[in-house]
Amino acid sequence: MNPITHEKLAAYAMVPPGPAEWIRVQLDTGGIAAGAEGVLEAIRNKRDEARLSLSVHRVGSVGYSYADPVVEVQSAGMPRTMYGRVCPGVAARIVQEHVQQQRLLDDHVIATRKRSTVLGGPITQILVKDTGTGSSDKTEFFQFSLVEEMRRRGVSDRVQVVRALDMGLYNEGVVVQLLPSAVTYANVLAPDVARIVSESLAEGKVLDDLLWSDPDLQTRIVLRNCGEIDPDSLEDYLRNAQGYQALGRVLAGMQPPDVVAEMKTSGLRGRGGAGFPTWLKWQLTANQKSPQKYVICNADEGDPGAFMDRSVLESDPHTVLEGMMIAAYAMGSTMGYFYIRAEYPKAVERVQRAIEQARAAGLLGKNILGSGFSFDAKIRLGAGAFVCGEETALIASIEGKRGSPSPRPPYPSVRGLWGHPTAINNVETLASVPAILLRGGAWYAGHGTEPSRGTKVFAVTGKVQNAQLVEVPMGTTLRQIVYEICGGVLDGKEIKAVQTGGPSGGVIPDKHLDTPVSYETLQQLGSIMGSGGMLVMDQHDSMVDVAKFYLRFCVDESCGKCAPCRIGGYQMLQILDRISRGRGAAEDLNTLRRICGAMQKASLCGLGQTAPNPVLSTLRYFIDEYKAYIEGGPSYARKMSRLQTGEAPKENLKVAATS
Amino acid sequence: MTPHISRPAGEAGPKAADIAKCDEGALLELIDEVERRHGYVPRDIAEEVNRLLEVRLERLRRIQGKLDTTIRRDVQNHVAHWRDEEGNLIMILHAIQNQHGYIPREVAMELSRELGVKLARIYEVITFYHYFKLQPPGQHNVVVCNGTACYLKGSGELINEVKTRLGVSEGQTTPDRKFHFDVVRCIGCCGMSPAMVVDGKTHGRVRSADVSGLIEQVKKEEAKA
Repeated sequence: MNPITHEKLAAYAMVPPGPAEWIRVQLDTGGIAAGAEGVLEAIRNKRDEARLSLSVHRVGSVGYSYADPVVEVQSAGMPRTMYGRVCPGVAARIVQEHVQQQRLLDDHVIATRKRSTVLGGPITQILVKDTGTGSSDKTEFFQFSLVEEMRRRGVSDRVQVVRALDMGLYNEGVVVQLLPSAVTYANVLAPDVARIVSESLAEGKVLDDLLWSDPDLQTRIVLRNCGEIDPDSLEDYLRNAQGYQALGRVLAGMQPPDVVAEMKTSGLRGRGGAGFPTWLKWQLTANQKSPQKYVICNADEGDPGAFMDRSVLESDPHTVLEGMMIAAYAMGSTMGYFYIRAEYPKAVERVQRAIEQARAAGLLGKNILGSGFSFDAKIRLGAGAFVCGEETALIASIEGKRGSPSPRPPYPSVRGLWGHPTAINNVETLASVPAILLRGGAWYAGHGTEPSRGTKVFAVTGKVQNAQLVEVPMGTTLRQIVYEICGGVLDGKEIKAVQTGGPSGGVIPDKHLDTPVSYETLQQLGSIMGSGGMLVMDQHDSMVDVAKFYLRFCVDESCGKCAPCRIGGYQMLQILDRISRGRGAAEDLNTLRRICGAMQKASLCGLGQTAPNPVLSTLRYFIDEYKAYIEGGPSYARKMSRLQTGEAPKENLKVAATS
Repeated sequence: MTPHISRPAGEAGPKAADIAKCDEGALLELIDEVERRHGYVPRDIAEEVNRLLEVRLERLRRIQGKLDTTIRRDVQNHVAHWRDEEGNLIMILHAIQNQHGYIPREVAMELSRELGVKLARIYEVITFYHYFKLQPPGQHNVVVCNGTACYLKGSGELINEVKTRLGVSEGQTTPDRKFHFDVVRCIGCCGMSPAMVVDGKTHGRVRSADVSGLIEQVKKEEAKA
């Protein structure tokens, strides 16, 4: 690709949309693990066999892990449709039936969340699904009812009734969605079928008593391009994602202080979990006088159970690069590093390709877009050390040393990588930057709540019905995220707690799930926002076990430099181990609290300071479980361990949460 | 001090010529057989085998020495590639581990010479990071993810299943060097928990019953090749 000039970049903004007919296969590590590459091949083969002209694209992932492999189809005469759990056989049927015969497939459609309240035109398809958790699934019955009713009225050949895989609504009875407008009815009962056919279908009237009019809970800003574009194509990013328009605008018409001011208006705070105001970090680094300054993208994502950063890097690497460049411009830096953990080879590969493409297009290097701003980016690999997610340890790691943290002050903004002023930002933070600079800080600040503005990406996993990536405005409640977006607890079990913040966070019991999500509220509850990992636990998960799991992780990952973390963590682990074997004593709980206090006050870095969080939080809300082990002794511990390995029949561990 | 016990009279043992023809596998069998028959290895056989081993070890050492030049050139190539980058040690170690599957001691020593960095400093870095291995891996790597999501969804059962099937614990290699078993923390496939990686290929939503199938598949493909 030839170097892009400012004029060419502006021309990309005017380019009309791409091909009208396409099939997109979502390929990230999760999708590939589920077999998406075989699906891509099957679709290409079937398309070639049938000599069709529609294009088949590889795109990133929209984050619906519960439905991988995911395929999206836009073909003539049919609404844009997303299919989940697509195996090569289903993929071939998509080409044959959806594209060639213009018929949707049963049991694979993931309904759109962009629901309308008006019927724009004649209805072409009807999606139906029983979203209740009762013992009988009425989906087929309602599909049959609708077809029968339509046959009675003589309209059955015009409209196809299809069983959906997922409607995005849960526990709302039978849900019906009318395509292509996506008017959605919920809690539909058998007598309503006649009305739907006679009024909505025949007369185009919306039934207000059944209408679902709540807007979609998700607002995708960081994930805006994930699943929409090919992460390996700069061309796609430029054409279809307003790629580098933000950078162009910044370089052409803004001075560094203007960029910082825009970031201040947006209220963006560090999404790695600490929540430090991003504009302030950039300002502090910009204020330093130094011949060389660095920007680092922290893609270490060491939290077990989090995969947001991996997804963004694999699905939309150019956005993060663009954000890094804007940050560098605002601070006067000319060199950036991506610190990516070695366990993410696909992310490393895609970011490397993005950097090379940007270099070839003149978007990295000297005098970018003729503005006089020069910048280059490199990748440095992590090597399996959780502590290297901490900024001073990360800097030590890039310097090729042992990842030991250093005391702060001096903060990296003053003295960081190789002694120069350095700003370290999380992947999600940088991915938000181009959107903010393009649409304005005020637009971004319009989302979320007062001290926590904007949106946050959560990776909801564990005992949840539909594990996925969720991006919601701050202020959305935990209950909404777990139940309304992700379908509630797996197999309809009772929820016990939601864990946020990984090994640095805590558990939040059921009674606090109506808390709106923000940095402050989660801290008050004894947890932290963290990088966004959210684990759902049901009544079978033992809290003592979970505390021990996280503590063992912190002990394994402790760098060993400071005594509180190195010794305190290990001592706590020994006590917890004794308790979980039924050999604990009542004083142990107080000892645990005292060690926790010492670690929080005296540890050198965040790892030691937050390692006590899971223990403190489980003690706060589930102290009865600890007491049960202490009072029950070894026989209780044996019974519990048999429950864990599934040898004994599982009973409900009904332990009331204490405050 | 045990007195010299001579072999029971009249027992003919393996002759020197026979011993010299054996390869390592046959030698092991021979010694096992002798031990079984007599309860110990008689001195004359032990001395003969010892002599043979010394000759072979000397030859192996000389071959190793010839390979040292290859090691030196490899290390020089890696260093040259990263010469202009500051803080290149970790990236060079990644390159070495990609090539060999682990960090051999000779290569680390050569790297120390080439970079002018004390060997202790190099080992300081290698031993700090979990990713770098000091032992050769097996031909095939079986990895079970033990991140929080996978842990909640039953990675413990998968770990036990692999232990049973392969007969080794985590971080160990099977005696025939075919399989190496590792447990890691979070490969980022939390939506597909529990996850396993076999020879670089990720598998999601793995159940205990699937584990033996995955291992058998690897063995089958190896037999085919």
